[in-house]
Amino acid sequence: MDAAIAALVAASRRSAVGRRLQGDVETRLLQSIVDATVRLFDAEAASIALFEPDPDRLEFRVAAGEQGAGAIGLSVPPTQGIAGFVYSTGQALALSDVANDPRFNRDAAEQTGYVPRSIAAAPLLDEHGTQGVLQVLDKHSSPTFSLRDMELLAVFARQATVAIAATRVQRDTARLLRSVLVDLAPDLTEEQADAAVSAATQRLDGEDDAFWGLVDQIARLRGLTDRETSLVGAILETVAAHAERTQRGRIGR
Amino acid sequence: MTSSELPAWSEPFTNRRRDLHRPLRLKGVTREWAWGGSTGAGVRVGIIDSGLENAHPKLRGRVVENVTVEMTDDGPTVVPDGPVDMFGHGTACGDIILSLAPDVELVSIRVLGADLRGKGTAFAAGLEWAIEQNIQVCNLSLSSKSESLYPVFHDLADRAYFQSTALISAANNVPAPSYPSLFSSVFSVAAHAEPDPWRIYYNPAPPVEFGAWGVDVPIAWKDGGSTVATGNSFAAPHVAGLVALILSKHPGLSPFEVKAILASVADNPGRRHPWRHRATAP
Repeated sequence: MDAAIAALVAASRRSAVGRRLQGDVETRLLQSIVDATVRLFDAEAASIALFEPDPDRLEFRVAAGEQGAGAIGLSVPPTQGIAGFVYSTGQALALSDVANDPRFNRDAAEQTGYVPRSIAAAPLLDEHGTQGVLQVLDKHSSPTFSLRDMELLAVFARQATVAIAATRVQRDTARLLRSVLVDLAPDLTEEQADAAVSAATQRLDGEDDAFWGLVDQIARLRGLTDRETSLVGAILETVAAHAERTQRGRIGR
Repeated sequence: MTSSELPAWSEPFTNRRRDLHRPLRLKGVTREWAWGGSTGAGVRVGIIDSGLENAHPKLRGRVVENVTVEMTDDGPTVVPDGPVDMFGHGTACGDIILSLAPDVELVSIRVLGADLRGKGTAFAAGLEWAIEQNIQVCNLSLSSKSESLYPVFHDLADRAYFQSTALISAANNVPAPSYPSLFSSVFSVAAHAEPDPWRIYYNPAPPVEFGAWGVDVPIAWKDGGSTVATGNSFAAPHVAGLVALILSKHPGLSPFEVKAILASVADNPGRRHPWRHRATAP
């Protein structure tokens, strides 16, 4: 059992290192999707809100376009507004003339500093249900959204859903370990699975601060030129050789 | 279904209309016969949605009952509800139905609310209640993706069909199963873009069988307001309104018979009098 836990710890560690080195892949993928959406629609803004529990909310994670920035970081109740409706029902929907709705007007202005005239929203749906909402505000070319727009929006929403599904597993090592354990050992009780997962992941980020400091430093090297990369390689090689020599010396004594 | 097979349910009603060619028309079944003179009187229409704002001027006092589903320890329970609409969407559907069938009675069955957990279960409980109440027409502008609820919705759709309750369900443009909108017994509806509430298409290549106006539809919205909306969920209530008109004039028809009538009077291009059934108010 100890050996199994050690293997899980090693796997969790590798996954955590990978995550630290890569940065937030999910956010970057979603950002690229809203960037593409806002360009293709030639719209004022596009944004993606993801559902987060405890308390239940839709959190705007990424946004693009001239009027998009105000939305990032904003949380709205999933039981209100157009994003809330699309989240709750899984139905795509577009409204124009929203300026006629005084309540919508005020809420939007207070929160993001921008009052759209039209808005289209599509659910991010996978087999587990709705994960969030993709929305587009104000096309420059038209005051309303066509059926073609709605179909196109659904394609982008699909991309976002795939991106979320792919990166959620990476991000949530604990969930990944748990699902693998349960698949491999169906007899495992919930408590046993939880105990094994927490033994493997507990204090993962906290322990061994010097090591994680190094990982973070390496992560910062992503933007290096070729020359700088070979320089860092040479330095690391020297340090590693030195460490090996001292270790041998210690053992030899 | 892969992402490349994204269902574009509106496609036959917009770009590929020649695929809708229907040589068969039932003799004697015209719009005049189907709903001429009907106002929907005597028909109750259940709106399973975000609630109804009874006082909205567009609803003209036609709401006769408001209920909601509460999740209790004993499971979902249907209880009386206030005359409120969480989003405005239920009120929009009610407005569209009344624009075609002004004398129907509307029943609000609110299944969207503060508690999102178990919302599929609440939806199923609301639908079951509507069937038990013998409400003749139910407008469902939402659907469930839950695999575990598949048999529940399948059973409910069958019960509705066998007792002649017509379920009008908005198609969902997502590449995932969605219930009950993909079941054969329901009236599954997607949007077309022609601004005519009386224009419908019958699609001989299901799962989506009917096309109705769902683009830039002027609708009632929250807090006595109004807006302009696009989506399959605004197409479905147009079909619900027509079904109510037919059932008001011909009480007791089964969903199968109503579908046959709608298919026969639809605006599909056909060998006999194409386009002759153009929009005419009853």
